[in-house]
Amino acid sequence: MVRVRQIWVLGLLAILLVAPSTHAQTPPAGAAPAAASAVDQASIQALKDMGAFLQTLKRFQVSTELTGERVLVDGQKLQHTATANMDVERPNKLRALMHSSRSERELIFDGKTVTLYTPAQKYYSTVEFVGTIGELINRLEERFGVELPLSDLFLWGTPAAPLDKIESAMNAGQDFVGEDLCDHYAFRQGTIDWQVWITIGSKPLPRKIVITNRADEARPQSVSLINWNLKPTFKDLVFKFTPPKGATKIEIVQLKTK
Amino acid sequence: MNRSFGKLLLDSLAALVLASFAMSSFTEAAVGGSRGGGGGARAGASGGAASARAAAGGGAQKNVQVNNSRADARTNNVRSTSVNNVNVERNVNVDVEGHRSCCGGWDNDYHPVATAAAVTGAVAVTSAVVGSIVRSVPPSCVPVNYGGMVYQQCGSTWYQPQGSQYVVVNPPY
Repeated sequence: MVRVRQIWVLGLLAILLVAPSTHAQTPPAGAAPAAASAVDQASIQALKDMGAFLQTLKRFQVSTELTGERVLVDGQKLQHTATANMDVERPNKLRALMHSSRSERELIFDGKTVTLYTPAQKYYSTVEFVGTIGELINRLEERFGVELPLSDLFLWGTPAAPLDKIESAMNAGQDFVGEDLCDHYAFRQGTIDWQVWITIGSKPLPRKIVITNRADEARPQSVSLINWNLKPTFKDLVFKFTPPKGATKIEIVQLKTK
Repeated sequence: MNRSFGKLLLDSLAALVLASFAMSSFTEAAVGGSRGGGGGARAGASGGAASARAAAGGGAQKNVQVNNSRADARTNNVRSTSVNNVNVERNVNVDVEGHRSCCGGWDNDYHPVATAAAVTGAVAVTSAVVGSIVRSVPPSCVPVNYGGMVYQQCGSTWYQPQGSQYVVVNPPY
C-alpha cells in the first residue's frame, strides 16, 4: 500500500515538473513584434501632461510611503520602509520630513538657505542656496549626496526630465491606487525600468511609482505610494527654520571623490 | 484495493488542498490585520492608511526606540539598493564603500560596513571594531553631517547613530 502511494506521489511530481516546461517551450505567439514597437507616443504624451500639470501646482502637500530594497552580497534581498511628508510652495520653498527606522530628518528651504536638521540629536547644518527647488535638488545631490524624496515630482515637466532618454514606453491599462482609478504606464530607460500610475481626469497626478533597478541582477525595486493635498492649510512659517532650544549647529561636509 | 487506494488518494489530495487554503486565509488575515481593515485591494483605502501613517510621521513612534543590536551582521553586507527617483543623475562609477554606489536614497541611511573583516584585519591600529555597537561615544567626538547622515567622528573612528546606540562604521570619506 505504502509502495503504491509512493509511486503515485512520484507520478504526480513528474507531472508537476514536466507540465510547466512543456508550456514554456511553446513560444508565445506575437511576442516578438510587440517587443519591437518600443516607444508608445501616447504614453510619452501622458508623461508630458502629468509634468505640465505638476508644474502648475503652486502650493501643495504631498506625502509618500516608500518600500525599498537592499541586496545583500549573496543576492538575498531585504525590504525596508520609509515615509516622507512635504509642504511645498513653488518655486523655491519646501519643508520635507523624512522618517525611517534609522533616522528622522528634516530639510527646510526658504529660497535662500537650506537646513538639514536631525531632531533626535538636535543637530542642524545650513547652507546658503538661492534658486528653485529643481536646482536645489541637483545641488544637494551633487555636492552633498543628499537626496530629496520624490524629487521627480519637481523635475517632470522641465528639461531636467528628458523624455527622449526613454527607450520603451507602454500603456499597461488601468488600475486602482487606493480608491483612485489610474492609468498605468511602464517605461524603460538605461538600467531602470519604471512604472507610474496617473489619476484619470482633469488632474493627472502620480499616485504610485515603482522603480526597478536592473543594474543588479537581483533587481531591487522601490514602491512609492503618493498622497496629495492640493488645498493645504500650512502657514509660510513652516519654511523658516528656527533652531529649537538646545540645538547645535554642525558642519556639513561636501562629497569627496575617492 | 483499487477503490480504497483511490479513496486514500482523494483524502491526501483533499488534505493538501485544505492545507493550502488554510495557509492562504491565514496570510490574508495577517495582511488585513496589519492594514487595519482587510477588505479588497480597492476598498483597502491604501491611500488613506498610508497618509494617516505618514501624517503621524515620527510622532507616534517617537517613544519607541529602534534596537538593531540583534540584527545579523550579514544585513550590513549590502551590494546594491533600489533607487527612488528616475531623473536623478547617478554616479555609475561603482566604488565599493562609496556612498552613491551602495547606499543612496533618502530612505536608506545605512552606511556599508561590508568590508568590516578586511578593514579590521588590515588596519590593526583601529581602536574600535567596525560593526560593533556601543551605547555612547567618547566626549571628544565631533558630529559631522556627510552624505545626508550625521556621524560622530572620534579621530580615525566613525560612529553612526542607530536608535539610541551607535555602530562603528568605515570612515565615509
